[in-house]
This record gives sequence, structure tokens and C-alpha cells, in this order.
Amino acid sequence: MSFDTKTAVGSINQNLPGCIVEQEEFRGETTLVIKRERIEDVATHLKENLDFKFIVDVTAVDYLGIKSPRYEVVYLLHRFGADYDDNVRLRLKVRLTENELRVSSLTGVWKGADWLEREVHDMFGIEFEGHPDLRRILMPEDYDHYPLRKDFDVRNREPSKKSFERALREVGADYKPAS
Amino acid sequence: MGVNAHPQLGGDGFILSKISDIANWGRKNSLWPMPFGTACCAIEMMSSFASRFDMSRFGAEVARFSPRQADLMIVSGTITYKMASVCRKIYEQMPEPKWVIAMGSCTCGGGPFDSYAVVQGIDEFLPVDVYVGGCPPRPESVIDAVMKIQKKIENVGAPLV
Repeated sequence: MSFDTKTAVGSINQNLPGCIVEQEEFRGETTLVIKRERIEDVATHLKENLDFKFIVDVTAVDYLGIKSPRYEVVYLLHRFGADYDDNVRLRLKVRLTENELRVSSLTGVWKGADWLEREVHDMFGIEFEGHPDLRRILMPEDYDHYPLRKDFDVRNREPSKKSFERALREVGADYKPAS
Repeated sequence: MGVNAHPQLGGDGFILSKISDIANWGRKNSLWPMPFGTACCAIEMMSSFASRFDMSRFGAEVARFSPRQADLMIVSGTITYKMASVCRKIYEQMPEPKWVIAMGSCTCGGGPFDSYAVVQGIDEFLPVDVYVGGCPPRPESVIDAVMKIQKKIENVGAPLV
């Protein structure tokens, strides 16, 4: 029996009515915009009842000056199947405003969401509620900017330099800046 | 007697030199590189050490992954500020005298990465002796850089103690 995203969407609407805010189709890819408060319920349903066992990626987009609300968190899910047609990908999105940069963590559903959510937190400053260890993953721990936000100057190296000099001071390395 | 009487030493059996010259002659012919590879340049560096290009012909084939057993640091690959403190720490752990090769465009000047995380040239925090451009440089260029270090050791040298 082949599986398609229509089955998944129908099942969500039946079991969790009102969770899907919007549905987009583009070149055979399905994107569902989910209510922020219900993302964990939808994710649990997709994993437990519809076999979306694998979270491929979690990322985010900053739409500063393009549209409002400003942020979208994007979840890419995969469903493995014996036949080619049973392998299905699904994209979930959650919209976040600047004043409420919070969304439930999906680490309770997929363990693999742990580091992916830490990366989104590191780059965009989005809080994942219920995450077991929400520290920065790529940038230094004392870094105080969110580099992938559109209002951050990507050529601004000063904050990185500060963290670098502090890291050297901590180990007592003899560092003199080039004259 | 013995060595002094050997005909290849001119019969008279003397070699006149300075002790620092002999030390530098020894240093330049047995460089012990410490590979600090962070990106694609490191692959090309490995190739320079391996059989096809064979750096051992110039007396520098034993790559040491402990900085305490090395005197030449080859920094190959993009260095971010987070990595820079590690790089500097490892440099500090190398015993004197020591030399540094900046291998590739990234280490020389940041390469294509004009970004918030990448150091725009490792000479911001390390005393570089030889710069090798290229993305990545050919193994011949790396060997040439090592030979330039050897020339520098021969001509400039380093204090004995």
C-alpha cells in the first residue's frame, strides 16, 4: 500500500483538528504551517501513528523586512518505507514573532532534534522550551550575538575576537596582537 | 688517527666551523612538522608527505601529532576565531626553536570567507615564516615552502639555547 502526504494531512486534520494553519504544495513537496502551541502534538502523531521516524533537519528563516511574523522554524521529516513510494518527506513550519521567540522542543519526540535545535538557538536566538541542554553549539559560549539574523552584520568580527582573546587569557597564553 | 686521518676530510683531519652553524645544519635537515590541518588543505599536505611527492627527500617526513616533538607548524585550512585560540595554545606548546608555514589562501588572508567567524590571516596571532598561496596549494608548493624554511634556518638560524 503506498503512502502519500494526503493521507498524513487527512490523519492530522481528523485527530488534531485546527492544528494546520496553512498547506502549501510546490513541485511535489508538501509544507504544513502548524500552530505554534500544537507542534509537539503534531510531531508526536506523525511519529507514532504515521511512521515519520526520522527528523532530517531543523532550521529557521529570518524574514526581516519581507514578511511578518519575522521568524519561521522549519522541520524536515522523513518516513522510511520498503517501496520507493513509501518513502515520503514532509516539511513543517512554525511562525514566531519577535516578541515570542519560543517554541516547544521536539527532543522528547525525536532524540535527534537535540543538536539541530541547539544550532537554531545558536544562530537565531530562538528558545526551545523543554530542551535538555540548550547551549550554543557552534559559536563560543560567551558570544552575545545571533549571526544568522538579518540585522547582524556578517562581516562584524569584533565579537568573535573578544571571545578569542578571552579564551587565550583563560589558559594564560602569551598573546600579543599583530602591530 | 681515526676520523682525523680520513683522506676525505682533506688528510689533515680538520673541520672548522661554528657550533651554531652545525646546530642549524642539523635543524634544517631534520625538521619535524606538526600538521595543524582543519580543512581541504590538509588533504594536500598529506599528499605532500606521501609517496608520490615524498617530503622525506628533504628530511621532513615524520609528522608529529604532539606539538612537544615538533619544530615546524604547518597550518593548513580555514581558521575560525574559536579554533584560533586552540592553534595558539598548540603553538605555545612547541619547544623552541620553531617555525610556522601558513598553507593556503585561508590561512594567508581568510580566503573566500570574509565572515564573522573566520580569522583574516593567521598572522593576526602567529608569527608566520612562509606563506603559501593557493586553494589548495600544489604539493610542490608545500615542498618549496619547507625548502624556504630550510634556507631561512641556514641563513638566519636560531639561538643555540
